[in-house]
Amino acid sequence: MSITAETAKEHAKDPAVLCCRAEEGIVIQAANLEDPAIFDDLVDSNLLTLDGALTIEQVLGAKLLKTCDSLTPLTADLLEGISAPEEEAPEPKKAEIQEKPAAMADSVQNAVSGCGSVLKIHIGEGKDIHIEMPMGFNCGAAALTPAAVPVQGESIAAAPEDLPRQEKVLRSLMRKHYKITEVRRGPQTKIEGTVLYIREGIEEEAVESQALVHRLKIDIITPDKYHTYSETICDVQPIAVKEGDAELGSGVTRVLDGVVMMVTGTDENGVQIGEFGSSEGFLDENIMWGRPGSPDKGDILIKTEVIITKGTNMERPGPLAAHSATDVITQEIREALAVLEDESLVADTETFEQVRRPGKKKVVIVKEIMGQGAMHDNLILPVQPVGVLGAKPNVDLGNVPVMVSPLEVLDGCIHALTCIGPASKEMSRHYWREPLVLEALHDEEVDLCGVMFVGSPQINAEKFYVSKRVGMWCEALDVDGAFVTTEGFGNNHIDFASHIEQIGMRGISVVGMSFCAVQGALVVGNKYMTHMIDNNKSESGIENEVLACNTLCPEDAVRALAMLKAAMAGEEVKKPERSWNPNVKSTNVELISQTMDETITLVENEQSLPMSQKRKEKYD
Amino acid sequence: MKYGDKIIYMEGVITEIHDGCVEIDLKGRLGCLRIPMRMLISDYPLKVGQEVAWNMSFIEQLGPEVNDKYKRRVRQ
Repeated sequence: MSITAETAKEHAKDPAVLCCRAEEGIVIQAANLEDPAIFDDLVDSNLLTLDGALTIEQVLGAKLLKTCDSLTPLTADLLEGISAPEEEAPEPKKAEIQEKPAAMADSVQNAVSGCGSVLKIHIGEGKDIHIEMPMGFNCGAAALTPAAVPVQGESIAAAPEDLPRQEKVLRSLMRKHYKITEVRRGPQTKIEGTVLYIREGIEEEAVESQALVHRLKIDIITPDKYHTYSETICDVQPIAVKEGDAELGSGVTRVLDGVVMMVTGTDENGVQIGEFGSSEGFLDENIMWGRPGSPDKGDILIKTEVIITKGTNMERPGPLAAHSATDVITQEIREALAVLEDESLVADTETFEQVRRPGKKKVVIVKEIMGQGAMHDNLILPVQPVGVLGAKPNVDLGNVPVMVSPLEVLDGCIHALTCIGPASKEMSRHYWREPLVLEALHDEEVDLCGVMFVGSPQINAEKFYVSKRVGMWCEALDVDGAFVTTEGFGNNHIDFASHIEQIGMRGISVVGMSFCAVQGALVVGNKYMTHMIDNNKSESGIENEVLACNTLCPEDAVRALAMLKAAMAGEEVKKPERSWNPNVKSTNVELISQTMDETITLVENEQSLPMSQKRKEKYD
Repeated sequence: MKYGDKIIYMEGVITEIHDGCVEIDLKGRLGCLRIPMRMLISDYPLKVGQEVAWNMSFIEQLGPEVNDKYKRRVRQ
């Protein structure tokens, strides 16, 4: 199919190939050329070779010397009057900078070589130039950024009243960690030293609290019992409580270390609660330990096995009942933790500050969460960290974007019901340790203004309804950059793409993050999806049914931040390869560690686990 | 897979709708599918009786071995 003049301009550097038969003597125009987007397929299937082909910009306006069939690559011997490539055009301008004001050129070069090399100043020819930038923009190498640079005898003075703009701490959150080394059953739920007791018989109350729950069993899984069979894992949750009247996202939160809640279950017929891929099996073979959302090696798991009414595993009330019943137990532990008075039990404290950095590039994190119904739901903003009480399901909120502070995310404002594919689902604990939020919050080069949660509805019209709100939000916030993340794969990629489009069309740089690789390849795309990070960790690039294997990890957050900074600085990001190639990631990681001068340790994947029968036969 | 590249256009009818999944009968009595909601792309509210279409191929046996773990679950 022929292309338009506009497309020809976009693909000026791509090979020129005739789209249909062309007669000798014609002058080549855009309409004679084939769309370069389809070349990869043709080359793969040996229908086309591009050896010696000229670029589109070279052939436009040239005369064809010989009648050619369709899909003939235009080479130099077929044409007369080829234009020279325009690529060197920007170069003379650069030379100009160095020639004219020598003092300026030197200073700028110094600043650029400081670190990271994202600050680019390009001035063709100048007089009366005022440059303002916040101190420390160049990784704190303030000394390298001269306040005033003399050009042609006139001084360039940075406006002193605006410099530097102060950082502002909006709120802070302290986590007090209480170490637990043993979990026992006893007559009362309490914490004594480092031992947590769970009341005998609490299961009955948990069952009674939910009409749909028939049975509930608590298993205490210590590390030596990791090789135990478990039903599919619906969620992993931290056990935490707010101190005093503090609200979620500020004040003090007490959290138990070394122990997590784990929700598992089936319906009465033994059908797993959850969707089609499930993580039932031996725990040690089915959990990717140490992911933000999963248990760490050594954690004691308080595992509930909830049996719900038959046939409700795929309906909204079913999974919610399993979670609510489990929360009866968690809530009692929270209450026991809240009344602890012995400060000597605090093993560690950690403080998070929400800092706004005016003058830095303003960014927002958009996290797409599931909202198609049933287990594809999330409870937003409970009273207690990862609780149930007080929270609103995002399906009931119409999946519209909800803005929260980064500290609310880290304080458990999401109670995740999402039982999508186990390897890519973000469980409640994931938000508690969300790597992207942590990276962006601590990065002094960006101003993180908030985290936006947007649900993914089932119907396309609703998907576009919510993604337009995401775009409007970003426009109103006046951000320079945005991250869009999603979990799982499937029709949620439609709104994921639409969020990126809505943000990108407003001129905002945007980086998308998702599990894609082989099995989760995106179903749709648009011209704004140019900066993408793949969360895949699995060897073969698939949903391998290993819990949290392909979720967002610190290494992905680091790449996303580097990519967004590059995008906001106007640097080009190379086109992806035709099919999934894990080497792209390793090259990027290497580049970042070289530039940042710091080692990025990559997390392990499922190959580090004992091989389960299922994986052996199905996947690897 | 020996015949993995043979792609056939298929149509079906929605027979059951749950909050998390739908069931689809393949036209021509060629079987039924139960798929998660997020694997179905829909422009309109879902209703029983609506028609759907997709591309698929034949299903091939991967080998003679029986996976005991899956066998146990089938019995349940």
